[in-house]
Amino acid sequence: MEGVSYQRFPKVKIRELKDDYAKFELRDTDASMANALRRVMIAEVPTIAIDLVEIEVNSSVLNDEFIAHRLGLIPLTSERAMSMRFSRDCDACDGDGQCEFCSVEFHLRAKCMTDQTLDVTSKDLYSSDHTVVPVDFTDSAGYDSSEQRGIIIVKLRRGQELRLRAIARKGIGKDHAKWSPAATVTFMYEPEIHINEDMMETLTLEEKQSFVESSPTRVFDIDPNTQQVVVVDPEAYTYDDEVLKKAEAMGKPGLVEIYAKEDSFIFTVESTGAIKASQLVLNAIEVLKQKLDAVRLSEDTVEADDQFGELGAHMRGG
Amino acid sequence: MMIRLLTMSRMRIFEVLRLLVLGCNSLAFVKGLTTLTQYKIEKLTSLDGIHTFQDFVRGGLIEYLDVNEQNNALIALYEGEATSETTHIEIEPFTILGVCAGLIPYPHHNQSPRNTYQCAMGKQAMGSIAYNQFSRMDSVLYLLLYPQRPLLTTRTIELVGYDKLGAGQNATVAVMSYSGYDIEDAIVMNKSSLDRGFGRCIVMKSYTAIYQKNYENGTSDRVLRPQRTGPGSERMQILDDDGLAAPGEIIKPNDIYINKESPIHTTGQRVPADGQQDIGYKPAKQTFKGPEGESCVVDRVAFCSDKSENLCIKFIIRHTRRPEVGDKFSSRHGQKGVCGTIIQQEDFPFSETGICPDLIMNPHGFPSRMTIGKMIELLGGKAGVSCGRFYYGSAFGEASGHADRVEAISETLVKRGFSYNGKDFLYSGITGCPLQAYIFMGPIYYQKLKHMVRFSSHYSSGPRVMLTRQPTEGRAGNGGLRVGEMERDCLISYGASLLIFERLMISSDPFEVQVCRKCGLLGYFSHMLKRGICSSCSNGDNISMIKLPYACKLLFQKRASFENPFYLNEFMDTFDW
Repeated sequence: MEGVSYQRFPKVKIRELKDDYAKFELRDTDASMANALRRVMIAEVPTIAIDLVEIEVNSSVLNDEFIAHRLGLIPLTSERAMSMRFSRDCDACDGDGQCEFCSVEFHLRAKCMTDQTLDVTSKDLYSSDHTVVPVDFTDSAGYDSSEQRGIIIVKLRRGQELRLRAIARKGIGKDHAKWSPAATVTFMYEPEIHINEDMMETLTLEEKQSFVESSPTRVFDIDPNTQQVVVVDPEAYTYDDEVLKKAEAMGKPGLVEIYAKEDSFIFTVESTGAIKASQLVLNAIEVLKQKLDAVRLSEDTVEADDQFGELGAHMRGG
Repeated sequence: MMIRLLTMSRMRIFEVLRLLVLGCNSLAFVKGLTTLTQYKIEKLTSLDGIHTFQDFVRGGLIEYLDVNEQNNALIALYEGEATSETTHIEIEPFTILGVCAGLIPYPHHNQSPRNTYQCAMGKQAMGSIAYNQFSRMDSVLYLLLYPQRPLLTTRTIELVGYDKLGAGQNATVAVMSYSGYDIEDAIVMNKSSLDRGFGRCIVMKSYTAIYQKNYENGTSDRVLRPQRTGPGSERMQILDDDGLAAPGEIIKPNDIYINKESPIHTTGQRVPADGQQDIGYKPAKQTFKGPEGESCVVDRVAFCSDKSENLCIKFIIRHTRRPEVGDKFSSRHGQKGVCGTIIQQEDFPFSETGICPDLIMNPHGFPSRMTIGKMIELLGGKAGVSCGRFYYGSAFGEASGHADRVEAISETLVKRGFSYNGKDFLYSGITGCPLQAYIFMGPIYYQKLKHMVRFSSHYSSGPRVMLTRQPTEGRAGNGGLRVGEMERDCLISYGASLLIFERLMISSDPFEVQVCRKCGLLGYFSHMLKRGICSSCSNGDNISMIKLPYACKLLFQKRASFENPFYLNEFMDTFDW
């Protein structure tokens, strides 16, 4: 099989891009590539998250581990993460994770002095590094900034106090979900919908109406002028087969034909805010390339031959 | 105590029942109901409450009937079903069920044994137990970190406050087969969900130390300031200067949590109060014996006095656990299962809207159990999250509007862009290709049950009993699992002789003895002469070394001490010495 190249040149078309949301098309590739990208976005794009918590005083209602867990899940701005080191690979520090190359220190001091309940939020976390701070949702989501005060960590009543030191480190979603930059990463096959116009014309308006309404999502509609059934939003189709079943029930099989284009995908990416959605995609491609490089490098080494020798022979048909 | 007089006119019986606890059903009296004007109902429901439920009971409009009385009453379920013969009307059919069964959504769609199972299982679920749960000093307390109220509720849930102190979490469940680690009711869990706090729990255990004040001779225990340096100090790291473990400290197995000493002599001559310094004390430190390799934390230390007026010190030790393989979970339909495996989120199936299940349940759990209620719960829960209200599933509630009908639920689902049947189009997380079938997916309220593998599983290569040199018995003593007579019989019948040999001797209590081939008695090994000697023949000419279980050697010696020894040379022909 040598000499035959399966290389394809995928195209990306961006449809919508916000700080924490991206929608794009990926064409001219297959499911394996699309899925690899999705998997890397969820599990292997590095971010920074709180990993070690030293509690000095905690007289709140939540116990130490509980607060530590909650702190870990707070997304931190992680533009720096790609260039940072994992604390396990860091040569500059002796593994305590307190050096500038692999960690960021946070402090939290809160005490409730009044009769009103005090909300301790991610805004109360003070970072030693101004590039790594808790994600601020106020501007992006359009909340009123006076109301929205970040992510609540714990509530304190009069006299209760929380004082702690936390160290954030670089990590990947595979180790713990707190390091995953992705809130949602998903894709769908682009549907291709063909209406058999001749057959459609044999339907009465009521039948057309009930056909359009049989789909749980608004894929079809009736043109008010021509009274023809038109496809308004093919991507709203969820591959539920409802319209096909309806067509069959009406005694008109083949009224519509729906195929999934097997080489084009519509991606939806939502970020936790740790990195921008666009950067998340780019970082994922970068990580994927690094992984492929690792495979390529090991391909012709002796160790690889030892390791995969038998498998290789099997693949060659031996 | 309650005495109930019961007349059964038709049978001409007058019964006097003396009952301690009586389960009663509250029913509206039909005669009264006709006189119950709209005015009174308004008064009952109005907030100023001129008439309360008790007023109606006192006024004879509502009557409590016990089981015996119910036999002589003709009760209509609904007002419309009442005829001239009817004596009573149910206030509401779901009140037939109590608290435990009241938590089940759509119980009237389940096979009845499933509801019975759930009634037992609901009590083992972890959650919040009370508003004062962190001030309590229970001997064992299981709590859930993030309890939720069920998405699919019932009226009973609201009445008993289960929505305020829940015992479970709403998990997005995909009913499909995945990985093969889901056979026999096992569930596959999403690792990211667990990372984010699904099924996390706190186990708090109380350990007690008693500070005995008045021994017979007037002496008392003492708690000492811990050694900060020197041997033994590393086990006292978590102690405060008062000799007690400090709250907030991480406690490891074998750490000392109270540095107590007891007087050596507690009886006899009375020791005067000023002479207590001179008496001898022996250490009575108490060490923590928790699970190895887990970090527990001292949560609280409390003082109290026990019934003999001694100072009693209680240590609450807390441990936060995330679910692991083998932990037991259950839905509210008597469908318990253990966690079979934990799988990364990226390997989990996902929908094009980005929904990824928290756990996967095998569809084989449904046909034989016939828990249709669970399916309706999934459907209703899904409609509930998509439109933002709680759906109801009270028992027998469809007629009175306390339970939503499947038709209504399906309508909501379609309105929100889902399929009416609750099935979704999913992609495989491993390949990225669409799955072959539509997957029934939606939220189901899952309970974490308090049986966790870490406390139930057991294996050992641990301590042995002094006398027999065999492994100790029981889990508490970190003992072995016994291959008993019946197990041995099985192995014999199977012919697995090497396995018997290995289990009963090599891994148990192997021992080498010297045997005299001539007299057949046990000898000994002389380290001076470097050979075995038979003490009855007074020489070492016919000595052989054999291996046997120590317990067997013990038996031989006991028999010999009763002057009825085994003569091992009788077996000489059978065995190859």
